[in-house]
Amino acid sequence: MNATLTIAMLTITEAVRRRLLLAFVAITVVVVGLSAWGFDRLSHTHSITSGENHLAVPEALILFMFMFSFVVALSASAIASPAISAEIESGVLTTVVTRPVRRTEVLLGKWLGLAALLAGYAGVVCALEFGVVNSVSDFLPPDPLLAGVYLFIEGALLLTLSLFLSTRMPTIAAGVIGIAVFGAGWLAGVVGTLGNALNVSALRTVGQVGRFLLPTDGVWHAAIYYLQPASLISQRLAQGGNANPFEAEGAPSWAYLLWVACWFLIVLIAAVASFERREL
Amino acid sequence: MPETPGSSLGVSAAGATASPAIHTVALSKRFGETVAVKSLSMTVQRGEVFGFLGPNGAGKTTVVKLLLGLARPSGGEALVLGAPLGDRETRRQIGYLPELFRFQALLTATEVLRLHCRLLALPKRTWVEEGRQALKTVGLLDRSHDRVGTFSKGMQQRLGLGVALLGDPALVVLDEPTSALDPVGRHDVREIIRGLRAKGATVFLNTHLLGEAEHTCDRVAVIDKGTTVATGTLDQLLGHHSRVRLKVGGLGERWWSGLGRFGRCQQDEEWVSVEGIDPSQIADLVDQVVGLGGRVEAVIPEHQTLEARFLELLGEQ
Repeated sequence: MNATLTIAMLTITEAVRRRLLLAFVAITVVVVGLSAWGFDRLSHTHSITSGENHLAVPEALILFMFMFSFVVALSASAIASPAISAEIESGVLTTVVTRPVRRTEVLLGKWLGLAALLAGYAGVVCALEFGVVNSVSDFLPPDPLLAGVYLFIEGALLLTLSLFLSTRMPTIAAGVIGIAVFGAGWLAGVVGTLGNALNVSALRTVGQVGRFLLPTDGVWHAAIYYLQPASLISQRLAQGGNANPFEAEGAPSWAYLLWVACWFLIVLIAAVASFERREL
Repeated sequence: MPETPGSSLGVSAAGATASPAIHTVALSKRFGETVAVKSLSMTVQRGEVFGFLGPNGAGKTTVVKLLLGLARPSGGEALVLGAPLGDRETRRQIGYLPELFRFQALLTATEVLRLHCRLLALPKRTWVEEGRQALKTVGLLDRSHDRVGTFSKGMQQRLGLGVALLGDPALVVLDEPTSALDPVGRHDVREIIRGLRAKGATVFLNTHLLGEAEHTCDRVAVIDKGTTVATGTLDQLLGHHSRVRLKVGGLGERWWSGLGRFGRCQQDEEWVSVEGIDPSQIADLVDQVVGLGGRVEAVIPEHQTLEARFLELLGEQ
């Protein structure tokens, strides 16, 4: 456990010194600033009614959070893809794994450090964006904490997958595959939503299979659910159901959350097994 | 020192400290169809400096990786410090400088050493002194707070050597330890190796630079195409290949024909060379020439260099 924490701290230290966090926070502050201006304009516009405004603000917030969910997911892939492969290629890992530590501890330490960075980033993003929207538009999502947690989990799933790929593939291949799989998962979710809207079972199945194989889109929809106010949900229900990829039908089921946990554990165990067996 | 290969590699707690530092029996490694290491049997005793020599691509680094558990053998058996390959606890007693030495570029030299102290689970109170001592030994004390990314290759190799020395290891594995060093650095490495030997540590020196081995090793193994072609002390390897040249006056033609017991004799005007002479017999040879009435004007012993012997061994393959 000590070795795991040592590697986790090392991972965080290196990320901080690379100014990775600073760059992300700087970009985030700029985007949040722009969103503040946008929400301010939305709140002061006279071209929509106050009722429409109460629906437009959470919808706009979901769109902004969608962008941040992309940033979180892509960042997760970008920081996890080189975590093992680049250090094998450079030789940095050789002196670490020849110490009296298990490779499992090294991999879990990397995961822990990267996940802590991701959690920190997701936390900062949610705090800033929700704070800005609340102060400008007087709106706070019904469960901002759970929305933030699901945003982090979405990134953590892709982080785990990219770390697994990193144990076997060169950095670029792991990164490209991780991002491509994430994009495909999101697209499958959109196709599934279309299937629901058009009542085409084949398209609906694509969405369901996609959320099963890579649960990032399913988890993102869980985050959406906790961003939506009751008024938005009842309006959608009044319109006849889910026909928008930026809306969620309901809270994630326990069965689905259990599958997400299983998926995470399967990929993490696969990453550990792959790294343990890798010849350096 | 004779090799002691055997089929049994039993490990016992009592025998762990008495066991050789490294003992391999028919160790082999394949990468697909390519045989990198072929039935390698060797024994490295505790406390000796053992040179592992071979040309590029001979399989030296693969052997090192097998010994350190970085790769799995395809066949054969091996013990390192009396424990099976890759044994986690045993790694506590092993210092390793890899051929491809790279360290966390964003950490300072002190932080890299502290990281390894943590990974070695050394008592926290010793970290400062361990780090300071390692940096002093490799000549980096004045750069202790500089980031590794600002170091030259030679300085990074020195740091790697410092990392390998942490925790007072019983076995230090050095893979091409002077590849990036200038002559001063190479001299320093030799001194460090001698220091390790004086402390009773075993040094496994993997190199293709024969001068290093000649200066520091008690015994060497020459490896080519994944298998050993010769093992022994330098004297054993070179002893039968020494030659002495004598300049002798005052004797007639073929006066030397009776000296065949010393070695193979050959005359070139007033110079006679005796090939394969035991160096301890040179004085006897001179006595005998004087006894024959000769006037010995010069005696030039010529030992075969390790490089010449090395090339000869590889040529024999």
